[in-house]
Amino acid sequence: MNAIIILIPVTLALIGFATALFFWAVRHDQFQDLDTPAILPLMDDVPASEENSPQTTEKHA
Amino acid sequence: MSTDNTLWARPALAAQVLAPRRDGRSDVLLRVPALADARRTVMLQSTLEALPGVTRVRVEVTARRLHITFDAARIGLPDLLDACHASACPAQPLRRELLDDPLHHQANDALKRLAVAGLFTMQAMMFALVLYLGVIDRVDASTRQLFRWLEMLAATPVIGYAAIPFFRHALRDLRARRAGIDVPIAIAVLLIYLASAWNTLAGHGAIWFDSATMLIFVLLTGRYLELRARRRHHDLDAASTDNLPLLATRRDAAGTWETVAALELEPGDRLRVSEGSVVPADGILACAQARLDTSHHDGESRVRHVDQGQPVESGSLVLDAPIELTVTRAGSATSATRRRQLAEEAARQRARTDGAADAGVGRFIAGVLGLAAATAAFWLWHDPARAFDTVIAVLVVACPCAFALATPATLTRAMSVLARRGVMLTRPQALAALADVDHALVDKTGTLTRPQLDAAATLTHNNIEPRQALAWAAALAHGSSHPVAQAVLRANAATPATASDIQVSAGGGISGRLDGRALRLGRAGFACPGHADDDALWLADAHGPLARFALVESLRPGARSAMQALQQAGIHVAIASGDSAPRVAAIAAQLDIADHHARQSPDAKFERVRAAQAAGHRVLVVGDGSNDAAALAAADVSASLAGATDLARHHADLLLGDDLSQLTLARALARRAVRTMRHNRRWGLTWNAIAIPLAACGLVPPWLAALGMSASSLIVVLNALRLEAPDAPPAAGPHHDQPARWQERTA
Repeated sequence: MNAIIILIPVTLALIGFATALFFWAVRHDQFQDLDTPAILPLMDDVPASEENSPQTTEKHA
Repeated sequence: MSTDNTLWARPALAAQVLAPRRDGRSDVLLRVPALADARRTVMLQSTLEALPGVTRVRVEVTARRLHITFDAARIGLPDLLDACHASACPAQPLRRELLDDPLHHQANDALKRLAVAGLFTMQAMMFALVLYLGVIDRVDASTRQLFRWLEMLAATPVIGYAAIPFFRHALRDLRARRAGIDVPIAIAVLLIYLASAWNTLAGHGAIWFDSATMLIFVLLTGRYLELRARRRHHDLDAASTDNLPLLATRRDAAGTWETVAALELEPGDRLRVSEGSVVPADGILACAQARLDTSHHDGESRVRHVDQGQPVESGSLVLDAPIELTVTRAGSATSATRRRQLAEEAARQRARTDGAADAGVGRFIAGVLGLAAATAAFWLWHDPARAFDTVIAVLVVACPCAFALATPATLTRAMSVLARRGVMLTRPQALAALADVDHALVDKTGTLTRPQLDAAATLTHNNIEPRQALAWAAALAHGSSHPVAQAVLRANAATPATASDIQVSAGGGISGRLDGRALRLGRAGFACPGHADDDALWLADAHGPLARFALVESLRPGARSAMQALQQAGIHVAIASGDSAPRVAAIAAQLDIADHHARQSPDAKFERVRAAQAAGHRVLVVGDGSNDAAALAAADVSASLAGATDLARHHADLLLGDDLSQLTLARALARRAVRTMRHNRRWGLTWNAIAIPLAACGLVPPWLAALGMSASSLIVVLNALRLEAPDAPPAAGPHHDQPARWQERTA
């Protein structure tokens, strides 16, 4: 019985966390483009990173 | 397209396209050429993102748009456009109004509600299962009570957040004094939730949180899928007005040419439009003659010749040489804008009738509520202690779950079956209309017919094998969706090589490199400058012409069988085309269609649909040009094809592939779907007719009512899943409308 007392709040916290995470993702347009990410790993060279590479990493903020 | 991007630094122009954000940055939408090559898309995106001052670049592939967020203080719009140009992707800014996309917010909102419904429904089910299975010792009342509370806790976000759209729609329907399907859903969900909550607080009696949450989750899933289909479809709307150039070259009072915003144009202005550009406003041709490509708005693949004094429509593409014209209508009065407005108005009017009441639903709710009230009255008089439980049982039994699911479950299934056969259904309600149309209005050019290479008339230079020339042409045409390029690919029997450095010039043709040789494919004037245009397709290299392919207008595959099938089904078929009378009559004769009309303007087609509807007919419109858009939008159900213009596709309910026989298939499926829906609804009503009286007599305990309700919903869903497309017609049918002469010759 004690297990339930501990597990139930854990479950509820997890759902709350999952929901919050999902909302964050939707708000940041993570579900906008489901086509291009699929081919990203297939690209052998990611271009235009020669001169400006340090900046590209912070672009998605 | 003008390449002088510095113009966009002018505040008056920039104000039209830049949308300032609260954080001081700006948003801009750029229209780019088709982004068919995913590699190039990703390269373009990372090139732009690497520019200083650019915060984010979003590529909308289907809509052919770039959405760029940038800091106007650090980088100017002209620099962005130059960067696009340098990446071989010339971009044009779009009006800022287009940035605000209502469907975008709607889709995000629906996704959030769906996620909440899914997560919390699962939780509610889990807690409910613990109670159902009796895992908890029956005597341990406090733990049972704890789980009932937990179930309520899990169900609350589903009812209080995910189900809000149902409540909102129900309120809207009630206020408008009509009974939409959301009214019984909202009432049922609310009543079940409140009754369960009451029983939870009271500490005894049955609870049905799981049923209510499940219903919401299933319905939301269906609606989200529908919204996604609609959104993808909306993205295709790269329609005529946003294709119009925002800039124009106008002669000012001093007689010099100046570049102004197209919005500033006024009737009487003298304009110059350079070759390869789109005409920004309607006008009268002021120079001797012009040759225009109007395929964008009427699907006509031949060049249109216009002489001095004749009208030039906005949206036409200028070929060969620059032209001059005197503006007659500009801004929002242009024919391009008019085509779009006409279509939008028609679509709005139809949307109104779509939401109209379902007479059956209204009677159903009134009946159930009346019965519940009568039950309550009887038991309060007879045995007040049992009144509450009995009334709840009546309401739960009568919960229109099966009723509510009957139509959406069938439509969702029909959508997926059609999608597997290459037909996209974008407005599910249209399916019912498709099943009982009795009038069909069909466009000719591009719909019943398409250009076809006349293989026998292929001429080649320097003893080149026709087959070889065709293979080269196919290497260039590969990846283009232009009807003529498609005709080349169909005629080519060999596996096409892929040319590199492919460049498409609108209204001209395609150039590229194959095995180190520069090749050009297109109109004579484009492929081998110096030759006069002759409606044929030319292939040339740097030294001169290699081959000339003749083009003929031929019936599209499936056209004959589809028209026959429609006529056999007792549907009156008519052809309405913008083309000349003899050409329309010839095609009509081939298809045995007696009713045909030539030289039809967009308004005439639209009026024709309206007239048929006024006479009590249900009308199907099939078309592919922007000039069909209004008729498509006004029709009870409309279909468009793979090669159609964006505006036409935007207003079509069904997007077929390349083959008109898919229309026959869609109609057959529509008839089956309507039958399934009727079965489902009849089942829902029968179930209620049997169970409600029993419940009213107090013979059905609430738990059994809930079980029966779930079972009836399940039966409805399973019945919908039985829906399958009819078998494909025998192979001897539609695909042999056109014997492949080329293959016979070369085999």
